[in-house]
Order: sequence, then C-alpha cells, then structure tokens
Amino acid sequence: MPGRFDISSRIVSQKEIAPDTFLLRLYAPEIAENAVPGQFVMVRPGLEEERDPLLRRPFSVHRADPDAQQIEILYRVVGRGTRMIARKQAGSHLQVLGPLGRGFSLPKGKIPILVGGGLGTAPLLFLADVLEEKRAVVVLGAVTRSQLLRLQDFSSTGLEVLVATEDGSLGNRGLVTEVLDRLLGRLEKDARKNVVVFSCGPMPMMRAVAGLCGNYSVECQVSLETAMACGLGLCLGCAVCSDTGAFLHVCRQGPVFPAGQVDWSKI
Amino acid sequence: MSAGKARFFLQAKWTGARSKMSRQQQTFLGNGPEMKVSIGKLELKNPVMLASGTCGYGPELADVLDLTNIGAIVVKGISMEPRAGNPPPRIAETPCGLLNAIGLENVGVEAFISSKLPWLHERNITTIVNILGNSVGEYQALAARLNKCPGIHALEVNISCPNVKEGGVAFGTDPEQAAKVAGAVVQACDLPVIVKLSPNVSDICSIARAVEDAGASAVSLINTILGMAIDIQKKTPVLGNVFGGLSGPAIKPVALRMVWQAARCVDIPVIGVGGITSASDALEFFMAGACAVQVGTATLVDPGAAGRVLQGIVDFMQENHYQSLKELRIGP
Ligand SMILES: Cc1cc2nc3c(=O)[nH]c(=O)nc-3n(C[C@H](O)[C@H](O)[C@H](O)COP(=O)(O)OP(=O)(O)OC[C@H]3O[C@@H](n4cnc5c(N)ncnc54)[C@H](O)[C@@H]3O)c2cc1C
Ligand SMILES: Cc1cc2nc3c(=O)[nH]c(=O)nc-3n(C[C@H](O)[C@H](O)[C@H](O)COP(=O)(O)O)c2cc1C
Ligand code: FES
Repeated sequence: MPGRFDISSRIVSQKEIAPDTFLLRLYAPEIAENAVPGQFVMVRPGLEEERDPLLRRPFSVHRADPDAQQIEILYRVVGRGTRMIARKQAGSHLQVLGPLGRGFSLPKGKIPILVGGGLGTAPLLFLADVLEEKRAVVVLGAVTRSQLLRLQDFSSTGLEVLVATEDGSLGNRGLVTEVLDRLLGRLEKDARKNVVVFSCGPMPMMRAVAGLCGNYSVECQVSLETAMACGLGLCLGCAVCSDTGAFLHVCRQGPVFPAGQVDWSKI
Repeated sequence: MSAGKARFFLQAKWTGARSKMSRQQQTFLGNGPEMKVSIGKLELKNPVMLASGTCGYGPELADVLDLTNIGAIVVKGISMEPRAGNPPPRIAETPCGLLNAIGLENVGVEAFISSKLPWLHERNITTIVNILGNSVGEYQALAARLNKCPGIHALEVNISCPNVKEGGVAFGTDPEQAAKVAGAVVQACDLPVIVKLSPNVSDICSIARAVEDAGASAVSLINTILGMAIDIQKKTPVLGNVFGGLSGPAIKPVALRMVWQAARCVDIPVIGVGGITSASDALEFFMAGACAVQVGTATLVDPGAAGRVLQGIVDFMQENHYQSLKELRIGP
C-alpha cells in the first residue's frame, strides 16, 4: 500500500472561479507525488486545537503537480466546513491527510470516456491529465454555462471535449447522459468492449450513467460520495450497499467502484 | 536506563514532530517519569491506548502512527460470526461530537485470528481484543477461542454498545447481567479481563462493583452515549438506525464524571475513555482517578492524536515534577 501522509499544507493560492466554487492550490509534496486520479484527501477546516467542526472534509484530488509539489482541490461551499476553508488566505496552512482511497483503474487498450456533472468534474481533470490514450473523450454537463467548470483546462489536455447544459447556453441542450447515450449508441457492438466510462457527479447522474453502460454492456467506474469520519478505514462509517447485499466502504475500497458493484436502488 | 521510562517518538511524518522529537529524546533518555501501568498481570509501557472501533485492526493506521509506541491497541469489537452492520447513513457530525451507528460490523472471530491478529503479533503491538456477544454463552465462547491465541494481551468486554438490539445494551445496564457476562469471560480465559461500561445507566457504581466482584481486572468507561439527529429538510432521522452513539469532545464532561465515580467505588484500575483529544483532556482523567486512558474519536479526526496525547502527558509531568501517574490523582 502506498504511503499516506498527514501534513500541514501551505495554501499557495485560492480563487473563487464561479459563484461559491473555489480552486485551492496546496503545497503538499508527498501527496502530489503519490496521488493517482480518483483518490481524495481529508482536509481539516479549523485549527488543531479547535474541536468544532470536529471532522475533516473529504475532497477529490483535482490535479496533482509533482514537479511543483502541489495539488489542487476544486470545491463548492455547501456548509460550515467548506465556508471555513473558503475564508483561508494564501500563505496560511491547512491540515491535509492523503492520498486516500482507490482511484480509477485504467484498463489497457480501452478508450476512456470521462463523464462529469457539476462538481463531479473535480477528479476527472486529474484523470484527463494523465491519460495516455489520446482518443479519450470528455463529456461535461451542468445546469448552465457559468457552472461548467475548468472547460479550458479540459480542452488543453488535447482530448475531445463534449458539453451539455440543461438550458442550452453552451453545447448540447440537455443532460450529459443524452450525449453519452448517443456516443455509445453509435458504437458497433464489438467496439463497446473497447470502451470504459469513468463517471463522477450527482448520484442521479451516476445512476443514469451506470444504467446506460449496463444496457450497452460497457465497462463503467463511478466515484461515490458518502459521509466520512476518518477516510482511513478506521470507523466503518462510510458504508454503501453492494449488489451482493454486503457493505462497501467508500474510503478504502473506493471512492471509485465498478458501477455494477453498487446497489443503486439503495443510494 | 529503564525500559519503562518514557522513550517513544511521535511518528516522524507527523508535522512538526521532527524538531520536538530530538528535544524530547535528549530530555528523556533515562530520566522521564514512570509511565508503566498494570492491568491485572498485563504491564503496559504507557497509559495511552487506542479505543475500540476507532483504530481498525491496526494496519489502517500504521502510515501515520507508530503503534509500537502506544500503550495498547484495542481492536474493533469482535463477535463469533461476522456481522454486516447497520444500513447507511452510519455517521453524523454534531457540535463537537460524532454520532455513529456502525452496528458492530466486524469480520468475526475466525477471520480476526487468521487474517488480522498476525499483523499485530509480528510487530509486538500490545493488543487488547474487544468482544461482544448476544448471549452469555457467546461471550464465553469468544473468550475461550481467543485465550489460546498468541499475540493477545487482554480482552475488553463490550457490554455497552447501544447499537445492536439483541442484547448489547441489556448486559450493560443491569448489574446482575453485567456480572454474569464478566464472570463467564473470566472463567473462560487466563487473560486479564477489562469490562467496558455503558454510560446509559443511572448508577455506574453498582455495575462497576458487580463486575469487580465477578473477577474483572479493570473497567473501562465510557462507551458512547445514546443519541440521535434529525434532518429537518428531509424530515427524517439522519442515521439509518435512527439512534446512534455519541462520542468526541462533546461527551468528555460526562465521561470524566463517571470515571471519578467509578474510581471511588472499585479497587481495580479504571480506564478513562470519552472525548480525549489532547494531553490536558487525558490529564483530567488521571486526576479523576483513571490509571490509563483511551483515545477514540480524536484518532478518526487526527490519526496521530494518541502520540501527541502521550507526549503531552510526559511533558506536563516533567514540567510539574510528577514522578508517577498515581500522583496525578485528586484525593482518595
Ligand atoms: C470521496 C469524496 C470526494 C469529494 N470530493 C469533493 C470535491 O472534489 N469537491 C467538492 O466540492 N466536494 C467534494 N466532496 C463533498 C464534500 O466532502 C462535502 O461537500 C463537504 O464535506 C461539505 O462540508 P461542509 O462542512 O461544508 O457541509 P456540512 O453539510 O456542514 O457538513 C456536515 C457533515 O456532513 C458531511 N457532508 C456534507 N455533504 C457531504 C457530501 N456531499 N459528501 C460527503 N460528506 C458530506 C461533511 O463532511 C460533514 O461531516 C467529496 C466527498 C467525498 C466523500
Ligand atoms: C465509529 C465508532 C465505533 C466504535 N466501535 C466500538 C466497538 O466496536 N466496541 C466498543 O467497545 N466501543 C466502540 N466505540 C466506542 C469507543 O471505543 C469509545 O468508547 C467512545 O467513542 C468514547 O470515546 P471517544 O469520545 O474518545 O471516541 C466506537 C466508537 C466510534 C466513534
Ligand atoms: S470514513 Fe472511516 S472507514 Fe471510511
């Protein structure tokens, strides 16, 4: 098992790139060197001696730059913890534990399709960065144009990027799943064996993506979110139901799972 | 230089530990306060343990905490058969606290012995196995099964987990039942037996005395306090199990009060658990009469917490010229 590190990480920069959505850059050499796409970190919102809020918050590694020894986190302010993190200035420090969990696994020779909705694009940019298969396609969706995050950065990876907005303000009008449906529908049956879908986004979206891939018999990996206390496999708090009825632990066995392993009726 | 003197280092990966480490090493080699504690025939190198259910079976923590420097690890509660645990959501954050309804998910005693225990044994980590059963017979069978296993140093009997409907809570709230379980476990093994008490009782002393009379080597307290949270938007309880156990800094004052009471009504060692996050929290428990402490929820938040707690206790004792942990206790 690769190492996990608990480090006091200096904030290199923090920018509000969309309303309530922040891009945080941290100096975290050990994590930048060891992280793989789909892994996450646990960030403490307060100081060590503060006991409220008590728990650290999980965030996907949005980008890792081993040369600069930095990582990026893309997050939205949804509650107290994220609000506290958003107030931190460059130069101050955050306690960060990582890299944690199991990331995406890249089957050799398969063409990846990356499907992200809303903040679900967070782990996918890191994945797009490291993909060697340049025929990969990225499908990004949001309610409206201004909520499409990091579009420029996805484009500069050189991969084909398709966009869907629910209001039609950019790209296809509609849902990412409609774009995915068309992509997969166009493939010959044999070609579908050579495709793998990586998905992260709101649960209803991932459920739909998993369903589509099931119908087309296309391999699919999803990145799940649950409440977490430790992120290390200590508390067993991050359970989700699996297809066998047993529980999966998102922080250790995931957060990325083969879509078929998840019992979608119980999420 | 006595092996029992404070000679341990914070894990070097821990931020800031490096500089502290060299200072501590210089100061303590040979002349630190006495940190050994005895629980029955078991001698711990220091009084800071990891609480059951918050440290897995060990390897999960190994990257960020040196387990060989900790007094003992109390592994996740083990039952005869594997248990799947409760439906999610299983955890919820509350002010300064954590609600959990894990439902005693565990691999079962056979898998524990074959696939978890060897890792701890090979590393010489002092290991206390937390056990739970649905009947007196199951507790007894667990004790008998674990008795012969190399690498187990003591048992901690969980008679207090509020999560499992079939029994857990009943044993811990009735002195007679508690004594029956304790007695059966003591009979079934040669290991020191710690009984872990529930705070969800009106008279902690009668339970503590009952298990002492039944032959327990020590009591540990408190387990989590029964609680719940409601999501007002969804108009449903947050936890899948409705109720859960509250832990963390929020419960420390309750734990401290109960440790104070228990320490004044039994002669066996009392192990303090509940909300310990820092050395000063732990010192309060020693002053209340605890002979050792367990760090639980703090480890979930901060996996190096126990190392820092231990270091801080030594620092405090050194600075305030305490030679032994016993001197910390207030009054009788
Ligand atoms: C593996 C993983 C990766 C994630 N990656 C990202 C990311 O890249 N960007 C991003 O914006 N968010 C991400 N999230 C969600 C993020 O963790 C939550 O938005 C955040 O914890 C909310 O904290 P809060 O204090 O602001 O909200 P509050 O609602 O005040 O939090 C209360 C408690 O609930 C937990 N909680 C609330 N919402 C979620 C949620 N959706 N998932 C898990 N726990 C939650 C909090 O951690 C906290 O313990 C990820 C979650 C997981 C599990
Ligand atoms: C997630 C979780 C799981 C726990 N599992 C167990 C268990 O299996 N057996 C047990 O005796 N106590 C269990 N406990 C209780 C702790 O060992 C401890 O008694 C309690 O949490 C209070 O201490 P703390 O505030 O330091 O966490 C668990 C606690 C938590 C938070
Ligand atoms: S969050 Fe604690 S085990 Fe997964």
